[in-house]
Amino acid sequence: MITFKKGNLRIPKWNRKVFLVAGGTTGYKKFFPEYKLEELVMIAFKQMLEDNDLKMDPLEVKGLINYCAYGAFADHFQDQLLCEAKVHDYLGLEPLYNVGIKAGGATGGTTVLNAAMAIASGYADVALATGWERMDEVDTRTGNFYISTAACKDFETRLGRIYSSYYAPMANRFAWAFNVSEITRAKIAVKNRLYACSSPYAQQPGKHTVEEVLASPMSAYPLRFLECCAMSVGAACVLLCDEKTAYQLTDHPCEVFICGGTHTLRVADRRPMDIPLLPNESPGMYKELSKEGSRWPGFESFLAARFAAWLTYRMAGIYDPLEELDLVELHDAFTISDLQTYGDIGLRPYGREQEYIESGDAYYGGKCPSNLSGGLLGTMHAVGATGIFQSAECLWQLQQKYDKFHGDPKIWKKWGKTKPRDWQSLQIPKASKQALWVSHAGVGSHVTVGILRKSW
Amino acid sequence: MAKKKQQTKFIGQVTKIRQTEPRTVIEWPRTLTHIHTYGMLSPFFQGLKEGKLKATFCPNKKCSEDRLWLPPRAHCPDCHTEMKWKTLRNPVIGKVYAFTEVVYAGTGIELSTPYWQIDVEIPGLATVPKSYLLYGKPYIEMKVKAGFRTDKPTNTVLDYYWVPME
Repeated sequence: MITFKKGNLRIPKWNRKVFLVAGGTTGYKKFFPEYKLEELVMIAFKQMLEDNDLKMDPLEVKGLINYCAYGAFADHFQDQLLCEAKVHDYLGLEPLYNVGIKAGGATGGTTVLNAAMAIASGYADVALATGWERMDEVDTRTGNFYISTAACKDFETRLGRIYSSYYAPMANRFAWAFNVSEITRAKIAVKNRLYACSSPYAQQPGKHTVEEVLASPMSAYPLRFLECCAMSVGAACVLLCDEKTAYQLTDHPCEVFICGGTHTLRVADRRPMDIPLLPNESPGMYKELSKEGSRWPGFESFLAARFAAWLTYRMAGIYDPLEELDLVELHDAFTISDLQTYGDIGLRPYGREQEYIESGDAYYGGKCPSNLSGGLLGTMHAVGATGIFQSAECLWQLQQKYDKFHGDPKIWKKWGKTKPRDWQSLQIPKASKQALWVSHAGVGSHVTVGILRKSW
Repeated sequence: MAKKKQQTKFIGQVTKIRQTEPRTVIEWPRTLTHIHTYGMLSPFFQGLKEGKLKATFCPNKKCSEDRLWLPPRAHCPDCHTEMKWKTLRNPVIGKVYAFTEVVYAGTGIELSTPYWQIDVEIPGLATVPKSYLLYGKPYIEMKVKAGFRTDKPTNTVLDYYWVPME
């Protein structure tokens, strides 16, 4: 059983405030022969420097950078060890120090966390967080095998060689424990893929029905193909600063709060423990939660996500996430991981996760919409870029720039697409103040929870 | 007559071009063999070939964890004491905790698809190990019995499986 000692629960505290001021991204594709990896990163980097209305010339902004954090999930995919050295050189940032970050699916969020720590500590005034993945050098089944080596190679990898088979048991257990219909999961896929229709960067937009999702081919029962993200190629980046520099660069910076949590790589090894309660939860509220013989976190929940939220909410002074957050970008690599996370981060109490979808809260126009970017299911999961892309989307939403970055026909054209005639803006209201994003690895082995707070 | 100068020869395979539009894309084939040790967990894999399911336990009486570990660990994560081995008594009976039917598997899969992957609760264990059902259709709380591939073992975790009790 995991029991916390005093030091384990210290709330992280920046030595000085950290801000996010700009973001950039490429479009995402399953197969991207048009560009080499470093060329894609350059395209995202240029968008970040040139298109975010910063108050300095792009090369002047570049001249302020003094630390770089680079996220990439798997050297297998890039087939290039020390890929960060190659990218760093290509961006023309020598001899600034750079560090490569690897935290599975949470690589993007962890990269932002690393850059934020550089700012908070005073090592840097301006830090670049960039991530990428090139998953098109091998066929899909081989890509799935590569990813499955991020399960325990001795005791899990050979039992599936695909990550959907490690999430699918959770989906079955979750449905059994909390009486959840697969229609709820299908609605998540329908929602996120629909929102991807508004994004020029999206890889898998689609106007699907629940019936289509449930009729799509099975990957691992009960997860269908339309409930799973796809192999992606692309890159994203964000720029982090100290307070003084942030306001020199923009009148619309967002303050950053971000923490992480972990749990065993093997779900098998997750011993039952007491639930760490979020600020708005009370002792005893989960007493009757589980059926006899169940355990927490079991296969239904993620300690890593709960622990990251536990820390970040206290760091940012969030009491009730559903009331205080205006947007969330969650790690919907699979419909089930999205659904499970609602309880972990307190959008609903455990056991009532499905209400977040069924109530309409999760939809555009709802109380706290999720994955308006299209998420991983609809838009992208170029793994190392994902948590960075999500933070850029949160920034643009809070800055009221959704239309600028998603509605401009030139951006659609840039990625070989035509802006749809029925394009719909998914801009959240002007009064919105805070957005959250979750970056998630393994079957919940690493999770970061970040919050952006409008600071103007 | 001047001796011919020795030249460096190309001894590789000519790289195949897969496409030239919109950009040139080449193939870079390779085959690899990794040499991997089972380390201090070697007795577990040896045990499977002998029809034994071996778990480990922490012998430190002061340690808060007194249950068995399967997958085994060589060291206790709580107090760092070197673990000891215990062979579970046959027949090993467990209950299905979670399951999936693997339909689409990654490259190199060694089990014929579709098959049922199951996570099994075993009395006395701190853990819920993952394995597969040899035949039948699982459901949560279904009773299952461990079996072993002692004839033609694979030398991997696939050397044990479960069969329905009913």
